[in-house]
Amino acid sequence: MKTRIDRRTLLKGLLGGAAISIALPPLEAFINANGTAYAGGGTSFPKRFGVFFWGNGVLPARWDPTGEGADYALTPQLMPLAALKSDFTVISGTRVLTTNSSPHLSGPAGLFTGDALRGGTVSRPSIDQVIAQELGGETRFRSLEIGVQRSNESYSFAGPNQVNPPETSPRALFNRLFGEGFRMPGEMTVADPRVGLRRSVLDAVGGQATDLRNRLGAADRIRLDQHLEGVRGLERQIARLEENPPNLAACRRPEMPAEEFPDVDGRRPMSAISRAMSDLMAMALACDQTRVFFNMYSQSVNNTLFPGAPAGHHQLTHDEPGEQPMVDAIVRLIMGDLAYFLTALRNVQEGDGNLLQHSIVLATTDCSYGKSHSIDDYPVILAGSGGGSIATGRHIAARGENSSKVMLSVLRAMGVRAPEFGVGAGRTADGLAALAP
Amino acid sequence: MTFNAPAPVLRRLTQAQYVNAVHDLLGEDLLVSRPMEPDVPLNGSISVGAASTSLSPRGVEQYEALAYDLAEQLLRNDTRRARVLTCAPTATVDATCAESFVRATGRRLWRRALTTAETTALVTLAGNAATTLNDFHRGLEFALAAMLQSPHFIFRTELAEPAVGAEPARFSLYSLAGRLAFFLWNSPPDDALLAAAEDGSLGTDEGLRAQVARLSASPRLARGLRAFVTEWLGLQRLDAVSKDPMVFTSFSSDVPAAAREETLSLAEHLALTRDVDFRQFVTTRETFVNRRLASIYNVRAPSELRPDGFGLVTLPEGSPRRGLLGHVSILALAAHPTSTSPTLRGKFIREALLCNEIPMPPVNVNTALPEPSPSLRTMRERLQRHQADPTCASCHALLDPIGLALEHFNGIGTWRPNDQGAPIDASGSLDRVTYSDAIGLTQALHDAPGFPRCITTRLYRFAYGRHESDGEEAEIGRLSQDFAYGGYRLRRLMSSIATSAAFRRADGGTP
Repeated sequence: MKTRIDRRTLLKGLLGGAAISIALPPLEAFINANGTAYAGGGTSFPKRFGVFFWGNGVLPARWDPTGEGADYALTPQLMPLAALKSDFTVISGTRVLTTNSSPHLSGPAGLFTGDALRGGTVSRPSIDQVIAQELGGETRFRSLEIGVQRSNESYSFAGPNQVNPPETSPRALFNRLFGEGFRMPGEMTVADPRVGLRRSVLDAVGGQATDLRNRLGAADRIRLDQHLEGVRGLERQIARLEENPPNLAACRRPEMPAEEFPDVDGRRPMSAISRAMSDLMAMALACDQTRVFFNMYSQSVNNTLFPGAPAGHHQLTHDEPGEQPMVDAIVRLIMGDLAYFLTALRNVQEGDGNLLQHSIVLATTDCSYGKSHSIDDYPVILAGSGGGSIATGRHIAARGENSSKVMLSVLRAMGVRAPEFGVGAGRTADGLAALAP
Repeated sequence: MTFNAPAPVLRRLTQAQYVNAVHDLLGEDLLVSRPMEPDVPLNGSISVGAASTSLSPRGVEQYEALAYDLAEQLLRNDTRRARVLTCAPTATVDATCAESFVRATGRRLWRRALTTAETTALVTLAGNAATTLNDFHRGLEFALAAMLQSPHFIFRTELAEPAVGAEPARFSLYSLAGRLAFFLWNSPPDDALLAAAEDGSLGTDEGLRAQVARLSASPRLARGLRAFVTEWLGLQRLDAVSKDPMVFTSFSSDVPAAAREETLSLAEHLALTRDVDFRQFVTTRETFVNRRLASIYNVRAPSELRPDGFGLVTLPEGSPRRGLLGHVSILALAAHPTSTSPTLRGKFIREALLCNEIPMPPVNVNTALPEPSPSLRTMRERLQRHQADPTCASCHALLDPIGLALEHFNGIGTWRPNDQGAPIDASGSLDRVTYSDAIGLTQALHDAPGFPRCITTRLYRFAYGRHESDGEEAEIGRLSQDFAYGGYRLRRLMSSIATSAAFRRADGGTP
């Protein structure tokens, strides 16, 4: 996709090659007359994909809608998303068909990879990384992994045991995205000799590994290649510093978030952090720094103390008696944080549409009913239509369907040419028909 | 002997190993203050995780930033630079002087001599950077940054020598040097160890024993021991422990780090300082406290304090608190944010101290416990359900009864005489040895043959960076016997592993 206009060449000519930095206004003119695409290339706005994951499931009786299609009524746990009802589809009833051997872990492994856990880890990359493989090459970051709960665990896997740990500090995420190495649209390249030297260092690092690689076994070779893939990714990032940034009208450098989000009553302020992360991620996408993300809001089995809760989240899902009003309140709080994030995406105008419309956000958890670890009736929300590739504003009751069908539909909607998704019991060659727009 | 899975040859430096490498090889005064790729425990073991994981793209960025940061700290300061640079450049590009830097520093960082091609590439890189920036020393920064970002530094590469005849494949002496140093010091080899690899003396039995004796006599041995104990007990999890301050009013954000230091200090005291029967780790009345822990334990703060505010205390004879199972670290980790968990405590004792394998709870079962009520006041009463239901009891019979012995210690380890106003019954049995309270449990654990065997197993995994396979049981059995024969001294067990023939073999088999 041709989204960059090389004004560096032009200005170099005007100024005799002197290195300069000039901020130019965002150029709405670069968008075509219909407002649906960049001018010149005729291609549409880029599609983005991301996961919003929270741990410990839902209360199915207060989550699953009853009506179907567009005329369904929101249930108590979905109510925080009411203002976005036309922007997402909720899918109930699908089942993760791979083995449910490990409470909390089997569900996400089966959903995101289409295969059961093998040897305690996934056997293949998670769906975000499959999509990043396809879409990630054009942007500064191939994918971004973030989280709200402080932890190093995630379900974003590049391969077996190759987890992408989430960034859980808003300030650190800001620095990585908008610190040194970020340039606003229209900002010109500053000639810095160190940039070229950093690239030659990385080039040397990659070259050093050739001999070693030949002496390794297959498994270690994959691990070394993973490292080298990261090195090449960093080289591409640095190369971007020598190019002009993409011209995107909605791109702004966001405000720097607070360095610390101190605990309140011994509790991590999850919502405040989630909102700070949401604002940063919305701008990361608007500025086309990445097109793929994984937000590990909270971990499986997390015992986060939410405001007012008398015990940790996981413990409550098992021990709270009756209809579990505290668990219910926690799920609704998390949906409120999801709503904030989706709204932040929707607030970014892109041509005639908005960033949320151009994205697909898969919001899901690790089981349906936390108390029993069931992975039947898996809770799934797809927000955004991926540029009109899937239907929104509906409830799809897909009782008994393979959850892999949803994943395959998402892959295809994102433009990945995938003949099938999953292996064994999780395999499917068909998407979920009801998701067709 | 059977051939087992080949030993892992790539082990990523853990965060602690990275920091130790920088301090030992480039200088104690360098600050490693930037974030780096987190350690990933696998089946509870950081060293097994380090042999299975790679590096995420964010990790690559972090290591790059760290490399330039360290290069600048080292080479822009005259005093520090003099430690690694012994020549004065004669020009902006001085290949001879650059080469002496690259060879000496590269050998340390990569834990082996560099090849000519590697040296030339790095010297060329330094020369190009020096030309561009018009500064010899700035040029070296880029060569150093390249060495620090290299897989040769970030990964420990353990490579085998080609097998000779019927002899089992052995690690190269450079690789053996790395295995020894990272096991005993949690840090790379020093110059003397590399020299022993280069002159071949490390390949002889006497040479190996001499190096192990030298490494064991160094204060750095404490770092190896601490890394082992951290991974064995999962103490890194204290970083993320969450406790409700409304429920546990004496818990504050400085408690977790203090609790970890207590446990590590006691292990070091018993294993290295006193070099005594390490089974005392679970029975001793000695421990280390700072003022914060002293108040939680209700003991007088020690009169002699280390610079970090900790000191050795002996709990009174009548104290119900003994050894590791009385530490805040374990009692807080094996508990919930607002309450105790006999199940988690029992699981800790079974898995970490006895190496029993406890299966995952089944899916699709109702796991709820009844709420406290006038008829079900104590945790023991509420947990009856685990024993009454045969599905639950198959595992919980192994867990809850031993965890209930610790019910006098609340969710952060503070002593309590009763639970919800009801008296606590701490009696039970561990594998048919009955006891009436927590002290009895610790004695039963001390005497259980599975306990020292488990210590041996966990130390073996730490040293080898993998879970043992069936063919390695014999070697663990041999080490375990030797551990008992030597009076359960952990220092001796570390040496036994380091000097064993198996530790040199690269085929995963045992001799």
